[in-house]
Amino acid sequence: MQIFSIASQRAQWLSAKLGVIAGNVANASTPGYKAREITSFSAVLENRQVQMARTHPAHLNMAGEAERARFETREAEAERMSHSGNTVSLEKEMLEGAATVRAFRLNTGVVRAYHRMFLLGLKDN
Amino acid sequence: MTDPLLAPLSVAASGLHAQSERMLIAAQNIANARTTGNAPGADPYRRKTISFVSELDRQTGVEVVRVARYGTDPSPFKVEYNPGHPAADRNGYVKLPNVNTLVETADLRDANRMYQANLQVVRQAREIVSMTIDLLRTGG
Repeated sequence: MQIFSIASQRAQWLSAKLGVIAGNVANASTPGYKAREITSFSAVLENRQVQMARTHPAHLNMAGEAERARFETREAEAERMSHSGNTVSLEKEMLEGAATVRAFRLNTGVVRAYHRMFLLGLKDN
Repeated sequence: MTDPLLAPLSVAASGLHAQSERMLIAAQNIANARTTGNAPGADPYRRKTISFVSELDRQTGVEVVRVARYGTDPSPFKVEYNPGHPAADRNGYVKLPNVNTLVETADLRDANRMYQANLQVVRQAREIVSMTIDLLRTGG
């Protein structure tokens, strides 16, 4: 069942990534705007490893908080800067967006394949 | 809290709005490129400008764009010698708007390109939403 949890995180991360790309594209003509990028998915996975155990209902639900994790973004390395101080490269953002959609398709494909596999197991019995 | 899947849509919508405002301003400038004043020696149409600012949307955590300011271009008017013009001053000079049609056309094209880029993001966001919904459809 781990696979579904990872796939869900991956889907969240990909949609957050598309959100950051959308922000960059929307601000492509904003003076002084610096292009942003999301931290890598492996960093998200590594962060998830460390969680505090809940031994009492009154404890803070750290796991639940992490479920709706706000992914970290950082300023992207500027490849070029326009006269107005804007560092967004529209071409790069378009490519990244297409890559994100592709990765999302792969993700849903994997989920569907596993789901079908589980269903097969259930039906045969 | 806004659905993170739908966050790109709202951000791209803000971009679409900003770029269409920009196109509107450029179109106004082009349309009024030869608009002179009504009275002799009166000031003609002054070029309009628009500027954007990014704003952090706390609900989604991404930066949307909004119009910061509508302004006017303070650069001097062009002057043309045309004594027969109704708006000509005592010496026969007519003040013409400080609009450069070439600059406005380039701006219009740029805004158009940015609008298309935002539309592409809308398409991509829609695609990942429909892929997620399709997961539920093929359960059997």
